[in-house]
Amino acid sequence: MLNGLNVEGSTPLHRMSVRTKLAILLVLGVALYFFSSLFVLVPAFVLAAGIYFTTGLTVRDGLSRLKPVLFTIVILLIATAYLASIREATEAFFRLMALVLFAGAVTATTTTGDFIDEITRLLQPLDRLGLVRAADVGLAFGLVLRFVPDIFNHYQAIREAHRARGLKVRPLTILAPLIILTLKDADTIAMAIDARGFRRPRSDRNR
Amino acid sequence: MDIRFSGASVSFGERTVLQPLTLTLTERRIGIIGLNGSGKTTFARLINGLVKPTTGSVSVNGLDTVRDEGAVLAAAGFIFQNPQHQIIMPIVHEDIAFGLKNRGLKTDEIERRVAAVLVRFGIAHLAKRRVHELSGGETQLVAISSIVVTGPGILILDEPTNQLDLRNRRLIENTIAGLDEHAIVISHDLPLIERFERVLWFHDGKLVGDGPAPETIRAYREAAEC
Amino acid sequence: MTTRDLVLVALFTAIIVVLGLIPPITLGFIPVPITAQSMGVMLAGCIIGAKRGALAYVLFVLLVAAGLPVLSGGRGGLAIIQGPTGGFILGWIVATYVTGLIAERLVKDGQNEIRQFAAFFIASVVGGIVVLYAIGMPWVSMTTGAPLTDVATGSLAFIPGDLLKAAIAALAARAVLIGYPLLPHRA
Repeated sequence: MLNGLNVEGSTPLHRMSVRTKLAILLVLGVALYFFSSLFVLVPAFVLAAGIYFTTGLTVRDGLSRLKPVLFTIVILLIATAYLASIREATEAFFRLMALVLFAGAVTATTTTGDFIDEITRLLQPLDRLGLVRAADVGLAFGLVLRFVPDIFNHYQAIREAHRARGLKVRPLTILAPLIILTLKDADTIAMAIDARGFRRPRSDRNR
Repeated sequence: MDIRFSGASVSFGERTVLQPLTLTLTERRIGIIGLNGSGKTTFARLINGLVKPTTGSVSVNGLDTVRDEGAVLAAAGFIFQNPQHQIIMPIVHEDIAFGLKNRGLKTDEIERRVAAVLVRFGIAHLAKRRVHELSGGETQLVAISSIVVTGPGILILDEPTNQLDLRNRRLIENTIAGLDEHAIVISHDLPLIERFERVLWFHDGKLVGDGPAPETIRAYREAAEC
Repeated sequence: MTTRDLVLVALFTAIIVVLGLIPPITLGFIPVPITAQSMGVMLAGCIIGAKRGALAYVLFVLLVAAGLPVLSGGRGGLAIIQGPTGGFILGWIVATYVTGLIAERLVKDGQNEIRQFAAFFIASVVGGIVVLYAIGMPWVSMTTGAPLTDVATGSLAFIPGDLLKAAIAALAARAVLIGYPLLPHRA
């Protein structure tokens, strides 16, 4: 039901490791806020746009993904132009758009699987300290994707049942039954996970 | 297979769910019957250590279910009543592969074993399918595959045909018949276990019948009809 | 963390995703349509508590960051987190934790229904509105250059809708507490 937003390709960004891409995004995300000169921000924007539109996304796809963010940004920047200054709004525009475009490029060139694997790897130090189980991330991620369709079916079943009884379908009457019906299964699912030996303590893991 | 119960009982607070039992299970096909609440499910869960005995002990091939928890889980796979709750990854082959991931196996070895088990149970064509789209019988087979792929010698199945239509029931019945592994099956579906070597009958937390399938099932049927 | 807790967290994250698939409701007097998903913070904190609720949102944010279109309207990806509303998205995690903390402290067995509703409502307002906006608004201000006071004034338009959400969430949380209690609370 849920497909990731990445696209196939072999651009340099595709081949870059997830860690590097995220690190660059993080550094850029902080660094660009130290610059207010358009001589820095405009080129950054142009570069980011260039990278974004050469990831393999069709122009239509690329633009439609930006629509929601762009909409919010434009509205807010109009406010900024009016309440602060046009200059500030312009700076903010190029800076924000540079970051948003680069972030969009990272998403377009990174599979969800690789992303989650990277998060798991990043948690290894904490795993060794016994604070978290890094493998839980992958497990939890799989569980979410596994059960979203089932829960959606529950929702539709509850809606139909309401309609059949002539009840108006309102969030109030649907939320509680949906949540209870879903969370009730937690115990048996947890038992099945334990029975498969998935969350054994570290010492036990080399079987 | 050598499963031993030594004075094993289960109590939750004041309530004794299973009276002390001492017996040995070695047969290849064992059925477990009884009314709901009779203790049969608790008994089955004692075998792979999902439930720990309050008194006494349970061992599987020399491994104690309390001390050697991990090894027992590896030796005895448990297939739950509702396969929907058992499959935790969205795509069939992902769920089956997941069981092998934490074992330090190389990717191509994992692929090989997953492919082998899919072929074994006749569901190779379902490898890339989304779990929620499968029929009851297909889901059950995926659940069985995901347990079998890790190589337990013993399979415990809890009401495997409970929610299946006639055709899917046949499918599971044939699958269980064809298993190389030892199978211990809890079932209300009596025809499923009719030809098993041994059937244990539980009632009110006590073992009230233990013998070859035909006799024990007949006694159970008679008692149920009174 | 027990396996059961892990499963509860993951299932709740899945619920939040499904909430995003429910069409938004437009009510006459409220300028922005109400999405079921926007009640997620309040629901998570009030139903599964502070720690599990916050983790459910950590997982949800990871899903968004991983590029899955799970935000209502089929949106997702790092771009949205980088954008002006990013503070709200990350703020969900903290807001849920605060909602949960308050709910866990204020809700008790044996309270009458008005008091329980009030407890959930207060938890939802403080966590899901006050704390959330306290984190989200500065981010809007920083990324767009709009002065914070103006961002705050602009946000006032959303408050009536948010209060309604808090009421709905409180009622739902109460119904779940009766049907299948999961909130760690005082007996």
